Amino acid sequence: MKKLITKIEGEAVLNITGDDIVETVEIEFYQFRGIEEYLKGKHFMDALVINPRVCGICGHSHLIATAKAIENAFDAQITNKAKLFRELTLNFEIIENHIKWFYITLFPTQIKDKKYMFKALELSQNISKAIALIAGQYPHTSYAIPGGITSDITYVELAKVKNLINEILDKQTLFDDLEIFFANLSKYIGKSNNRFLCAEEVELSKIFEKKNQNQQFVTYNNKFYEVGPLARQKDNIKEIYQKYQDSIYSRIYARLFETIKLLEKNIQICNEIDLSELSYIKPAIISNKGYSIIEAPRGVLIHEIEILNEKIVDYNIIVPTQFNLSSSKTMYSVAQQAIMNEKIEYIDTIFKCFDICAVCVGH
Amino acid sequence: MHSKPKVIWIDAVGCNGCSHSFLNLSYLSSLLEKIDLLYHPILDSDEFKIQESDILIIEGALKEDFIKFGKKLEEVIEQLFIHSKKVIALGSCASFGGMFGEGLIFNKENYGKYYTCKNKIINLPGCPIHPEWLGYVLDMLINNRNIILDEENRPKEIYSYVSHSGCVRNEYFDWKVDAEDFGTKEGCLFYNQGCQAPFTHSSCNKILWNEVSSKPRAGIPCFGCTERNFPKVNLFKTDTMMGIPSKIPLGVTKRAYLTLAGVAKSLKNERLEQRLFEYEEINNKNRG
Repeated sequence: MKKLITKIEGEAVLNITGDDIVETVEIEFYQFRGIEEYLKGKHFMDALVINPRVCGICGHSHLIATAKAIENAFDAQITNKAKLFRELTLNFEIIENHIKWFYITLFPTQIKDKKYMFKALELSQNISKAIALIAGQYPHTSYAIPGGITSDITYVELAKVKNLINEILDKQTLFDDLEIFFANLSKYIGKSNNRFLCAEEVELSKIFEKKNQNQQFVTYNNKFYEVGPLARQKDNIKEIYQKYQDSIYSRIYARLFETIKLLEKNIQICNEIDLSELSYIKPAIISNKGYSIIEAPRGVLIHEIEILNEKIVDYNIIVPTQFNLSSSKTMYSVAQQAIMNEKIEYIDTIFKCFDICAVCVGH
Repeated sequence: MHSKPKVIWIDAVGCNGCSHSFLNLSYLSSLLEKIDLLYHPILDSDEFKIQESDILIIEGALKEDFIKFGKKLEEVIEQLFIHSKKVIALGSCASFGGMFGEGLIFNKENYGKYYTCKNKIINLPGCPIHPEWLGYVLDMLINNRNIILDEENRPKEIYSYVSHSGCVRNEYFDWKVDAEDFGTKEGCLFYNQGCQAPFTHSSCNKILWNEVSSKPRAGIPCFGCTERNFPKVNLFKTDTMMGIPSKIPLGVTKRAYLTLAGVAKSLKNERLEQRLFEYEEINNKNRG
């Protein structure tokens, strides 16, 4: 049986065997755009405009990863202020992603009620606004550049940003809605292999990416790992994780937990930033290779660049969905394992609980 | 229209950035109540099927052999197009091809596949689309109002302006004070940093992004993302000829512009030659 999954920033096809219960599943993504090829021969700075267009929902993560990969090649330094602003806006993207994903992507797989969508929009519009106050616009800003950030923010903007965060914290009802979502759904479905990977522990040499047109295959140390909010937060939600393991409930709980945690963190960052520091320090341009490994909303994101005489010779991107949604006949990826042995009626919910990004995969 | 207009929103080859950008429209919920949204790439809707629509929104570029809903994208688009009354080419990809493929009416240098049907199409370039631009177009169509278009099928109410109109750095532009480098609120980005705002048709600095800002306000040059040649190469560098920007503001001759620029530069504005203000370090004083 073939099942088409849509509304995941693109689409995917699942090839499923089994009648009521899934015996095997293979995952296919097939919408390729060729951004890595498009980058070749371009000036390295152009990547700061092109790469956010990898993805309409997590494009800011691609911007930050690009700036950091180039900085890694140049061995460039940035000020603490620039670092904190980047952290602030990246956190906002993670927060916005989680809220939209929860209410707009996941909720309709169980509960058809437009009121939840409007709830997401009310919150997410304020988050976009907070990013725009710092980075000019959202989506598709290019305010992070090698050497820092382009904007020279004043305390006027920071006051507004803090106010927006407080409004969101006051209005949100994420954990109440989590229980509504699970009113008629088991919290124990969708368990996988309990292997997790975060950006800070990644050694690039242990990553293996098989370039394949339709099926993704990205391993770490020859094994499939789960990346994303549960990997990042499982030690902070120990009771939930011990009880539900890497089930759908833990995955969703981790995302909502992270949303609140990062909102609070962002207030702290706003209070810490010293605006007297420089926004930008011009880096010395050298021909070299560089890379970056960051946490995007959906997990580990890797960018690798090679620059020769200011031009991009080679570029490689590995996105979180490639880790989680790999597909293989011989060993099973995180999502394959989560879906196998579960009822067919749960496929859409379990599949989407990974927060899939098909356009990212199709970079 | 007596009943609510039927709207189909389809994503072709792109990044879904226009879909997400539109979710930032502050009056989106009331707008959605005035239409019957049959399909959308992100928002919940019935399963996709080929059917009639009053307004077809195509986001993303066309590309041969791209698969959509298990079929050829171009066939899906063609069927939807035939069964629609009005078509919005949403974003720079659908309008001009952008980074990923071909546009409906225009490509970067030639005509697109749907050139002969251009009377049915409204181009809304921008990468991504500004939510209020689409909000306005939908409101006009819902109310059966006529939208005046320019020679590239863009609504004049939006694209008669240039991105430069309303920029907070305009004083620096007028007095020819360039930004020495990135990261300062002072200085104009037109001379060195590649800003294309003076010759880019858009109203980014009139209708602000997310209701609060714009790229040049945040120190990012305008990349000319509403224009047919987007993205050009060397986006952070001004193309110059003998030290003078090779593209000049729309509507003036090069000679007129250079005369004016020369005069402005010779008559210094002293206020703009220095920083507006500087912050003192907060580390030791305020924090103890």
